[in-house]
Amino acid sequence: MNQEQFQTTSSGLFTGYDTGGFFDEMFDSSGPRAHYAKLAKTLGNLSAKEFRARCELADITLINQGITFTVYGDNKGVEKPFPVDLVPRVLPSDEWAFLERGLAQRVRALNLFLHDVYHEGKILKDGVVPRDLIVNAPNYRRSFVGADVPGDIYVHICGTDLIRDYDGTYRVLEDNCRTPSGVSYMLENRIILMRVFPSLFGENRVRPIDHYTTQLLHNLRQLAPAGRDEPNVVLLTPGVYNSAYFEHSFLAQQMGIELVEGRDLFVEDNIVFMKTTRGPQRVDVIYRRVDDDFLDPLVFRPDSALGVAGLVNAHRAGNVSLTNGIGTGVADDKAVYPYVPAMIRYYLDQDPILEQVETFMGWKSNDLDYMCDHAHELVLKATNESGGYGMLIGPQASKSEIADFVTTVRANPRGFIGQPLISLSRSPCFFDEGFEGRHVDLRPYILCGKDDVTIVPGGLTRVALRKGSYVVNSSQGGGSKDTWVLAGEIPSEMQQSQSQSSSSQIQNQLGQIQTQQVEVGQ
Amino acid sequence: MLSRHADASFWIGRYVERAEATARMIDVHYHFGLESPLVGDAMRWSSILAISGQEDLYRKRGYAEDERSILQFFAFDEENSSSIYSCIRLARENGRSIRDQISSEMWKSLNQMYLRFQDWNVDRVLDGSPFAFFETVKEGSQLFQGITNRTLMMGEARDFHDAGRFLERADQTARILDVKYHDLLPTFANAPEKKELPKVVADAGSIGGPVDVHGWIAVLKSVGAFEAFRKTYHQGVTPARVAQFLLLNPQFPASVRHSIGRIDGCLRRISGNRDVAPVNSAECEVGRLYNDLNYMQAGDIITGGLHEFLEDVEDRCTAIGDAIYRTYLSY
Repeated sequence: MNQEQFQTTSSGLFTGYDTGGFFDEMFDSSGPRAHYAKLAKTLGNLSAKEFRARCELADITLINQGITFTVYGDNKGVEKPFPVDLVPRVLPSDEWAFLERGLAQRVRALNLFLHDVYHEGKILKDGVVPRDLIVNAPNYRRSFVGADVPGDIYVHICGTDLIRDYDGTYRVLEDNCRTPSGVSYMLENRIILMRVFPSLFGENRVRPIDHYTTQLLHNLRQLAPAGRDEPNVVLLTPGVYNSAYFEHSFLAQQMGIELVEGRDLFVEDNIVFMKTTRGPQRVDVIYRRVDDDFLDPLVFRPDSALGVAGLVNAHRAGNVSLTNGIGTGVADDKAVYPYVPAMIRYYLDQDPILEQVETFMGWKSNDLDYMCDHAHELVLKATNESGGYGMLIGPQASKSEIADFVTTVRANPRGFIGQPLISLSRSPCFFDEGFEGRHVDLRPYILCGKDDVTIVPGGLTRVALRKGSYVVNSSQGGGSKDTWVLAGEIPSEMQQSQSQSSSSQIQNQLGQIQTQQVEVGQ
Repeated sequence: MLSRHADASFWIGRYVERAEATARMIDVHYHFGLESPLVGDAMRWSSILAISGQEDLYRKRGYAEDERSILQFFAFDEENSSSIYSCIRLARENGRSIRDQISSEMWKSLNQMYLRFQDWNVDRVLDGSPFAFFETVKEGSQLFQGITNRTLMMGEARDFHDAGRFLERADQTARILDVKYHDLLPTFANAPEKKELPKVVADAGSIGGPVDVHGWIAVLKSVGAFEAFRKTYHQGVTPARVAQFLLLNPQFPASVRHSIGRIDGCLRRISGNRDVAPVNSAECEVGRLYNDLNYMQAGDIITGGLHEFLEDVEDRCTAIGDAIYRTYLSY
C-alpha cells in the first residue's frame, strides 16, 4: 500500500471513486489512464439506473443461456450464474505484446522441463531443481517415464495466472498445466458485453478473441497419430455434475467435436473407440478434462468410473493423443513454481521476461522458520491444492487460525510454500449505486501447437467481488470481466485493401443485385 | 383452394422468413463490426446495403451511411417494402385476408408480432440493446413457424406457405454469400480472370489477425450455420467450404439445396404429381435447379466462378417465384 489513497478527478458516475491505495487498472492519481480514457468518459456519463438496466439485460442473457457453474457443498441449488461485471478490463497493445512474449517463453520452458523430467532428468542431475522434490511430487507420474508424446509437447493448453502488485508490475502467480478452465467465460463475457454495451466497441478498437476455438481445434488435429488424415477429435468430460461442465459442452459445440464421457469409450488392441449408433468409431485425439487420477482405472485410481480402461496404454502405443499430456501436474506444482525462472535460464538460456512472486519453500529449513514466524504477514499455500482451497491469508486470519495452520505446515513442510501478500491491483466494478474497486487477476490461455505458441489477446480477468477479498476463484465468490487488448496501429497496406473493398467493389455489385427485388412488392 | 388464398399463404411464408433473415443479417453485421477493429463502419454498412440490393432507395430517402440510418431503413422504414416492419405488417395483412383459412393461433401469433413491434423504434434499439431487438424479431418468426407446423392442416395452404418460406430462405442465403464474397475477397474480385478461390484462408499462419476468417464466420452465423458448419468441416473455415456448405449441404435447413428440395416437395404435393417429369413450369424450374444442386460438385462451382453461380441461383429463384405465380397464384 505504498501509493497514496486518492479519489478520482473524474466526473459523472465515477465521482468519488476511491482507489483505496491500490494500483488501479483504470485510474492513476491524475485521472483515467490513457487506454481507459474513452471508457471512463462513456461509462461515467451513464446514470446508475441506466447501468443497472444493462446489468439486468446481462443477467437475463446469462440465465437464459444457462451460463452457470456448480458450487460443491452448496445445498441451495447446484448451479449458479457466473457473475459478470460489465466494466471491461483494458490492456494497451504494448503491454500485451510484453506479456505475450513472457508467457510464450514460460510455457516453452515448462514443456522442455516436462520432457526432461520424464526422460533423462538433466535438470535434476545438474541440481537446478531438487530431485526428491520432483520424484515425490504427488502429480509426478512414474509410470509415464520414458513415454514419448507428439512433438514433445506436454502442455498444449496452459492457463497462467498473472497479478499486478502495488506499482502495477505483472507477476506470475501460478501456471495451470493440467486442465485449466475458464476460457468459455472469457469468450462468453465478450459476447455478453457486445450485446449489452455495443457502443463501447465502436469507440475502442478491441482485438477479437473468437478464433480461440478455431486455433484450438487446429492444434488438436495436428496431434493425430500418423496416417490419420481426418482425425476424430473428442472432448472427454467427467459429466454433467462436473463444475466446469458448461465449459466442456461449450467448447465441444464451438469446435464441432463430440463430447464424450468415459462410458462412451472403450479400448481394444490399444486403440480407442467410441460407441456410436453405427458401431465403434476410432478416436484419435482426446481433449480430456478429466484429471490424471481418474483417466484410466488400470493405471491410476482403480475406483474411477470417469475414465477408460486401457486408455493410457493406447496413448503410450501412440494410437491416441491426449491433451494435456499425462503427468503435467508436476510442472504447475506450487513447489516447482519457485524454480521456473531457473528453468527458463537452463533450457532457453534467456532471462525470464515475467516476474514471479517471492516464494518461501517449506522444505528449506530457513524458509520454513521464516514462514512459521511470519505467518501473520504471509499467504501460506498447500502445494497440491488449487481453486483457493488449502490456504491461509495471514493478515486476514485470526490468531488461532494461524496457530492451527502453522502446526499443519510443521507436520508436512514439503507440502507448503509461503508468499508475501501481494496487494493485487483493483479495477472498478459496478454495484447498485456506482463503481467500487475490486481486486483482479488475469488468466491468459496459451496454446502450444506443433509449430508455434499462440495466445488470443487477453484472457479471463477474474475479480474478487466480495469487498476486501483477494480470492478470485469462482468457487469462492469470484466473478469475471471482459478483457480487452486494444489494437495497435493498422498497417497501411491493410487499410488500403479495406477501403477498396468497401466502395468500388460493392458499387460494381449493385447493378446485378437490384433487379431481384422486383417481385417483392406483391 | 382459391388462388387468392394460396397467394396469401405463399406470401405469409415469404414475409415472415424475410423479416427473420433481415434481422439475422443486420444483427450479425452489427456484431461482426464490433468484433473486428479492422473493419470500418463504412464497410459494415455498405455491405448490408449491397446484400439488400436497395442502395438506390436508400439514397433516395436521403439516409446517411451510419448505424442509426441503417437501422431505421432496414427495421422501421414504412416506405421500404422489405424493412422488418413492412414484412411483419404485410404478413399480418395477408393473414387477415385469410383468417378463416389459417388457424386462430397462427393469426394470433402474426398479430402479436405486429403489435409487439409497435413498442420499438430506432431510439429504443440504440439506447438499449440492438441484440434484444433482433432476438424479438427472430423469436416472433420462429414462434409463428412453430405454430404453423403444429396447427395448420397438412394441405395446400401449408404447402404454399412452406414454398414461400423456403424460396425466400434460398434466395437470402445465396444473396448474403454473394455480397460477402465480394466484401471479403476484394483482391480476387479485382482480378476476375483468376477464377479460382483461394483454397485456404484459415490456416495456422493467418488465424487471428485477418478480417476474412471473422468475416466468413459472420456469414455462417448470419444464417445460423456456424455450429453446424463446425460439425461438418473440422479442417477450418475457408471461403470454398463456406460456399459449399451454404449452397450444397443436403441437411442444413438454410442451405440452398435443402431449401429448393423442400419447395420441390411442396409443389409435388400440391399437384399430386408422382411422375419424375414435371407437370407445370413451376415444377420444371424447381426440379431443374434442385437436380443441378444435387449433382453439382463444389469444384464445379468454383471453377465456373462463384459469383456467376450465385447470380444464376438468384435469377432462378426469381424465375421459380414467377412460375409459381403464373401457375397457381394469379387471380
